[in-house]
Amino acid sequence: MDAAVSTELDGLSLGANATRERGGQTAEQTETQGQVVKRASSGESKKRVERETKEGIDCRKLENFSSWYQQVVIKADLIELYDISGCYIFRPWSFAIWEKIVEFFDAEIKKLGVQNAYFPLFVSERRLRTEQEHLEGFAAEVAWVTKSGSSELDEPIAIRPTSETIIYPAMSKWIRSHRDLPLKLNQWSNVVRWEFKHPTPFIRSREFLWQEGHTAYADRSEADHEVLQILELYRRVYEELLAVPVIKGTKSDRERFAGGLYTTTVEAFVPANGRAVQGATSHSLGQNFARMFGIYYEGKDSGEKLMPWQNSWGCTTRTIGVAVMVHGDDRGLVLPPRVAPLQVVIIPIITKSASADVISACEAICSCLQRANLRVKFDDRSEKTPGWKFNEWELRGVPLRIEVGPRDVQAGTATIARRDTMEKWSIRVPNHSISEEEDAFAQEIHQTLVRIQTNLFERASAERNARIRCVSDWGTFMQAIVQRCMALTPWCNLNECEERVRQQSVQDSLAYRERLATETDPSATDAVLSGAVKTLCMPFASELERLGLTNAAEWEAPAPEKQCFACNGPARRWALWGRSY
Amino acid sequence: MLRFGLRMEQVERGAFISSSMGGSCLRRHWCEHLVKSERLNGGRRLGFVRSCRPLASWKLSASPTSNRRGVHATRRLSSDSNESGALTPRAVNYAQWYLDVIAAAQLADTSPVKGTLVIRPLGWAIWESMRDELDRRIRRTGAQNVSFPLLIPQSFLSREAEHVQGFAKECAVVTHHRLRAVPDGAPGALEPDPSARLEEPLVVRPTSETIVWHMFGKWIQSYRDLPLMVNQWCNVVRWELRTRPFLRTLEFYWQEGHTAHATAAEANAKAREMLEVYRSFLAEWLAIPAIIGTKTASERFAGAEETFTIEAMMQNGWALQSGTSHFLGQNFARAFGVDYQGAESGARELVWATSWGVSTRLIGALIMIHSDDNGLVLPPSVAPIQVVIVPILPKDPTEKAEVLQRCQQMQEGLERAGVRVHNDRRENLRPGAKYFEWERRGVPLRIEVGIRDLQNQAMVLVNRRTRSKESLPLASNWTESIIARLEEFQAGLLRAAEAFLQQHTHRVNTYDELKSLIGANLHAAATEQDSSADEQRVAGFYLAPWHDNAENEAFIKQDCKMTIRCYPLDGQEEAQGKKCFYSGLPATHMALFARSY
Repeated sequence: MDAAVSTELDGLSLGANATRERGGQTAEQTETQGQVVKRASSGESKKRVERETKEGIDCRKLENFSSWYQQVVIKADLIELYDISGCYIFRPWSFAIWEKIVEFFDAEIKKLGVQNAYFPLFVSERRLRTEQEHLEGFAAEVAWVTKSGSSELDEPIAIRPTSETIIYPAMSKWIRSHRDLPLKLNQWSNVVRWEFKHPTPFIRSREFLWQEGHTAYADRSEADHEVLQILELYRRVYEELLAVPVIKGTKSDRERFAGGLYTTTVEAFVPANGRAVQGATSHSLGQNFARMFGIYYEGKDSGEKLMPWQNSWGCTTRTIGVAVMVHGDDRGLVLPPRVAPLQVVIIPIITKSASADVISACEAICSCLQRANLRVKFDDRSEKTPGWKFNEWELRGVPLRIEVGPRDVQAGTATIARRDTMEKWSIRVPNHSISEEEDAFAQEIHQTLVRIQTNLFERASAERNARIRCVSDWGTFMQAIVQRCMALTPWCNLNECEERVRQQSVQDSLAYRERLATETDPSATDAVLSGAVKTLCMPFASELERLGLTNAAEWEAPAPEKQCFACNGPARRWALWGRSY
Repeated sequence: MLRFGLRMEQVERGAFISSSMGGSCLRRHWCEHLVKSERLNGGRRLGFVRSCRPLASWKLSASPTSNRRGVHATRRLSSDSNESGALTPRAVNYAQWYLDVIAAAQLADTSPVKGTLVIRPLGWAIWESMRDELDRRIRRTGAQNVSFPLLIPQSFLSREAEHVQGFAKECAVVTHHRLRAVPDGAPGALEPDPSARLEEPLVVRPTSETIVWHMFGKWIQSYRDLPLMVNQWCNVVRWELRTRPFLRTLEFYWQEGHTAHATAAEANAKAREMLEVYRSFLAEWLAIPAIIGTKTASERFAGAEETFTIEAMMQNGWALQSGTSHFLGQNFARAFGVDYQGAESGARELVWATSWGVSTRLIGALIMIHSDDNGLVLPPSVAPIQVVIVPILPKDPTEKAEVLQRCQQMQEGLERAGVRVHNDRRENLRPGAKYFEWERRGVPLRIEVGIRDLQNQAMVLVNRRTRSKESLPLASNWTESIIARLEEFQAGLLRAAEAFLQQHTHRVNTYDELKSLIGANLHAAATEQDSSADEQRVAGFYLAPWHDNAENEAFIKQDCKMTIRCYPLDGQEEAQGKKCFYSGLPATHMALFARSY
């Protein structure tokens, strides 16, 4: 143990700039070599984290984002890399987050009357081709099974890239009369898409887990209503569970789901690299698929054959990646308390003389919080130093840490540290024979977790809002884009225009990069993104109002004299643009 | 939990062999058994007059089936057939009855890819309630949930020699990521695009030991990393040619647990612990009594040193392997180089392993054990709807409003009491049609409420299992009475299944004795090509002293179509001093023989 960094023993008097590594003189600690850490505490501008062990993260989020992300997801034990490119292993720490999302969303859709079912993994080649327009959307880059054992199959079968072509033939059998409607089905499953874009854990992978909802209504307005109900649930997943702000809107023609009528989306944003992420989508399919798959029902009055209105909606494990990208910092993961597998970790600061007292104090706190239904762990490993444990749980993003040292026990206190702000303070520990005190203590911890959740959301919202630029001409548009912002523009809502914007934005970015290279620092060019800019969504009026950008009425229908920022044609909608994952 | 006590000896074997009707004696016995139980339950007589359906193998079809009531060309599962028609009675055709129950309850449907199954909302809701409870029980043992990928490089599978032998033939192999039009082929004809061939073929996981152990190699360094216990709920694929809904399908859903331990004793204890988790879950949650034991070498999981199994008895006396827990020894640790630094010695030592799983097959067990000729019977613990309220609507609008209002209040009362209740307010169906529908869907209790019941401050309560009716006063504690009825329903199901298991488990001491007990069965099986024909004849479990010998085991399998389901954990001491019922050599085990799915 490096004496210089283990100056504090009791944890009560840590100043803002004190080294945080603390530790004792127990035999185990000297044996196991706690790593050397020199770090600044909260409030300071973030100093570089220096760690000499492989457990820490050795790059900064703002300097090298993609390397930072790779390190966080692996070192925080979220993901394990795998021998097949684009496939990942969800370790308990990330799967528990997914289970929290599943639990919430599953309960909410069941309240809406949605029933879960399970459809097969395999789809025949003929079925996959049933619908040309739909197929083109996936370009048929899927995993084809051509053999069982060593014998060739008569015809190749595909692993589902999505399940429309599997579910709708079944729906056409099950829907006969208006009494069979609405039919609301959902499944939690894995899908495989043979992507060749650079894979990113959670965000873009060949296999991912998701839910896919498929519903059919007799009445179009009911179907439309559901599209928004589900979108609202997706917003809640992001904003209430993951503390990630999103913008709801409609996709442009180019970006909408192939074969559908219209697509709504929640769009998230990663300030650290200026990329937007499509969070989840809720599609109105109209009657296109019903026609294709022969889904008809007998009407209530006339008895004639009618086609139902269908929706589909999906949300994937991408959610986890977005939360990691938005909240994480140079120390590692920062988990929102609502989805954190552990909300509180209790760490004993043990010295030779007082270990029994400390341990029993920790146990008392632990059981008090467990009774209050908080997810809490008492980290009683003897082979690790407290400092090592602090680092590990910070890296893994546990929202709240409680430290208990010998002096705490004497004073009847403990030290609390918040992961989001890195603040520390002292708190009175309840007398465990007085249940009112225990309740108040648990209540206070709970309130702190709520504050963390709120703070994460507000912080992320402020960062995101600062990166939305309202622009109305090409020059300022590109300026916003090279500065890694999203751009909100009056737009003509024409497919050709979006295509031109995509191409022009690539050219302009490359030109900008070249100019930088010749005029200034050649190394700065790496920081310039060159990908195409696309519409993220056309935000709902209510969303623009929520963002406080302008009054809703005006944004919903830009005045006719307003022109499209790109083609100067008449503007019809306001569109949000950006580079996207 | 095994009830191989004296009572087994009291079973009247005579019923099986005294009939003068030759080949059909077993069937007749079974019919009598069913009739007796139906009578006892106050139910209807079985329709013996129905003729047997012609038997063909269960066929999945992509085209809408032409199956109509009364026309039974092929045995099939289809949402088109039997939703409104009568079910095939068990005594007439057990295999078809099973499919009829599934179709009538809308548990599952066929899918265009042969051998796969669509699990419909009721089927999946049953699975969800099983999963939720078993997941809690598994977590209590310390395992954490994870998710491993669906695809495995083919080379992984070959790392453990026995494992690859066991699974290679039934793996679905992904070789390409794109198709192309066949050059000079018919319009629309497609073939795998050679330019989109994968560098290494990938198999769709048949089970995940190989990926898990590949990763355990990275995660396990020291004794402090042990034990490592993970579990996942996922889909797996095994290429089966003879499929049957839930029991055997190409793709199925399951949980697979994988653990790593420092010592053999600890791993072995874990394998047994998980077996006990399954046994108690089946008994307490699914009302399925089962026999637990170890598999013989020939029936072991590919790559295991010991396979523990849980064997349940279906209503035709066949066994269904309902879950397994494997002690894997150090086979996978050796194949994947997973070792750890010991606490004391500091030397590298190989890790000891277990794996354990149950699947959607349990839904099949649930159906085959509890259901009857009227359709599905569900234990309240897993029933998505435990109580259905059927209002009997009077014509008079005031009275009708009153009935509906009271039904609403009853629904709310039961919901507050934590009962899963459905109030069937549909006005386009008569009450009788609703009774019929909910019976087939296996709702344990039905409440019928008419205006006269309300005037008497009462309701009519109908039990799905016994089909008995009672008038229950609408007193202040009526919801408690309902909950008590549900508990009794659950207990009653378990008792009935236990009694059936006891009645149809026999002891045999010589091979002749076994053959004479199953003789008629054997004879029939020899004359009929279709194996499903003998599903019709109650088989039963046969417990015999046995000298472990793979060749003899294989011969008996061929001769009687019976396999050793397990060496039951309980009662092995009985083998001491006895002679093998087949070879006459000193017995090494008590072996449980049965026909199986």
